[in-house]
Amino acid sequence: MKGIAVTGMGIISAIGRDIEETHLSLKYGKNGISFPEILPTKHKDLPVGEIKLSNSELSELLNLPEDHSYTRAALLGIYAIKELLENSAYDQFPEDTGFISGTSIGGIDMTEKHFYDYKNNPEKRKYIQAQHPGYTTEKIAEYFGLNGMITTISTACSSSANAIMMGAQMIESGKLMRVIVGGSDCLTKFTLNGFNSLKILSTKNSRPFDNARDGLNLGEAAGYLMLEAEDCINGKTVLGRVSGYGNANDAFHQTASSENGEGAFQAISKALKKANLSTTDIDFINAHGTGTKNNDLSESVALKRIFGDKVPYFSSTKGFTGHTLGAAGAVEAIFSLLAIQKGEMFPNLNFSTEMLETGLGPVTGFQKKNINTMLSNSFGFGGNCTSLIFQRNE
Amino acid sequence: MNRELFVHNSIVIRNSKVYKNGQLIFEAETDLSISKFLKKIYKQQELKYPKFFKMDNLSKLGYLGVELLTHGDIQDKETALVFANSSSSLETDTAYAETMNEFPSPSLFVYTLPNIMLGEISIRHQLRSENVFFISEDFDPGLFVDYSKALFQQKKVVNVLCGWVDLHNNEYDVFLWQIALSGGKKFNEEELKKLYLPTHE
Repeated sequence: MKGIAVTGMGIISAIGRDIEETHLSLKYGKNGISFPEILPTKHKDLPVGEIKLSNSELSELLNLPEDHSYTRAALLGIYAIKELLENSAYDQFPEDTGFISGTSIGGIDMTEKHFYDYKNNPEKRKYIQAQHPGYTTEKIAEYFGLNGMITTISTACSSSANAIMMGAQMIESGKLMRVIVGGSDCLTKFTLNGFNSLKILSTKNSRPFDNARDGLNLGEAAGYLMLEAEDCINGKTVLGRVSGYGNANDAFHQTASSENGEGAFQAISKALKKANLSTTDIDFINAHGTGTKNNDLSESVALKRIFGDKVPYFSSTKGFTGHTLGAAGAVEAIFSLLAIQKGEMFPNLNFSTEMLETGLGPVTGFQKKNINTMLSNSFGFGGNCTSLIFQRNE
Repeated sequence: MNRELFVHNSIVIRNSKVYKNGQLIFEAETDLSISKFLKKIYKQQELKYPKFFKMDNLSKLGYLGVELLTHGDIQDKETALVFANSSSSLETDTAYAETMNEFPSPSLFVYTLPNIMLGEISIRHQLRSENVFFISEDFDPGLFVDYSKALFQQKKVVNVLCGWVDLHNNEYDVFLWQIALSGGKKFNEEELKKLYLPTHE
């Protein structure tokens, strides 16, 4: 056995409302970065990866009753999992299916919208409990009638990568036969102002790994994968396998990455060890590459420490989607599986000059390439670093 | 492989009291604000870690709990951290959100994630080990058992430090314990429940 089978996936982000549209955007270099139209912020000059569907439009597409209490993250999550279900072998998910969802924002969007209504408008009070990050997970589970292990992981920008890791671990240990893993996060004023206060948002489209990079763009998305134990596969199409995973703490700073990229280095090393692979087996890397000075340098140093002077092809897709925080790990897991399935490397947008410190250059144009093994990195605030390895099903 | 696991030590911080392995080891006046209570523990324990004063209260609870649990010494640097709570970082979220009306505070924003506490603990003890942070409505012993057992089963670790560190409306509920392959009480849901709420026996 070479890892846990992925038998389904679904996604919504600023570059597409399903797998197919997402793939075409990646292939043709079509980014989803725009100025905020749906998020009611005064920062109209900060580019974001916004999904151009309002909550009421999403509700309509999902045929939800008008008085529902879903957060935006729940709406996006349901939207993505509906696609997963449609493409799966199931009409309905078996009841014992587990559900592990990552989020960093939970239902803060609803608190922002309705906080001042709570006092005088009892109808809005249903959103008070929606602030709880677990509420979004429970609402998604309830929608699909999921009754297995249901849990929420909150480890900042590695949340959904950790959900994938945990799902794989639960299947390996025999605790679950089938589990939906991934994450969902929406844009909020809370995060836009917070990242802005840290002075790490770019006023232009982000330029991961470029020497002149000056910050990230926030984004929103939901992405989910179905993981299944061997006994459940029964001839189903296996889209790829999760064969390695590693998590480590950078133990350096609340929000900044260390100069030597120790956390990233450890996470990648652990993932390679778990997958029983050597550095030369990695064909392509989906980098975390947020476009901030700090992350991209730290990650580049870690890549050089791991791979020496033979750093594999790598690319950050944050220029397409923005940084979708807790959803990023799952979104990029899907991109990684698409790269393996289609034999394609998706470009790192907006790159022109290698950074002086490392001289590393990412893949800048769409390229065909046979890819058997992908590494995907997700690093979060709090020093939480996760690396996942995906392989072709053989 | 299903080896038996054991709980080594435990710490409970609740209602102005600190218990280690079920024994009351520290008590403060009940009308003390949480900040003062935490500072009192810090002083009483003669801790010397100036970063403490920069942390938000959730991180302070986690930091102090781990110091008390381990006597400030985690020998196995591969010890995994498996933490959870119910209220995420809500206290600091609220404080930060209030600054958004004027000038959003970066020093508060950096603490608006519950796993920053794991970062603080990792920095303090120079751990580069596996971390996870769950959100669940109530203390869920089954989740800790399942996740920790999977870590041991895969031979990823020989030590795990678990924590339930919740803080909401100035009410705190802290329960920390260590798991290893030998010694102490058996690690299962029943024992955890007993250690968590000994008064409900």
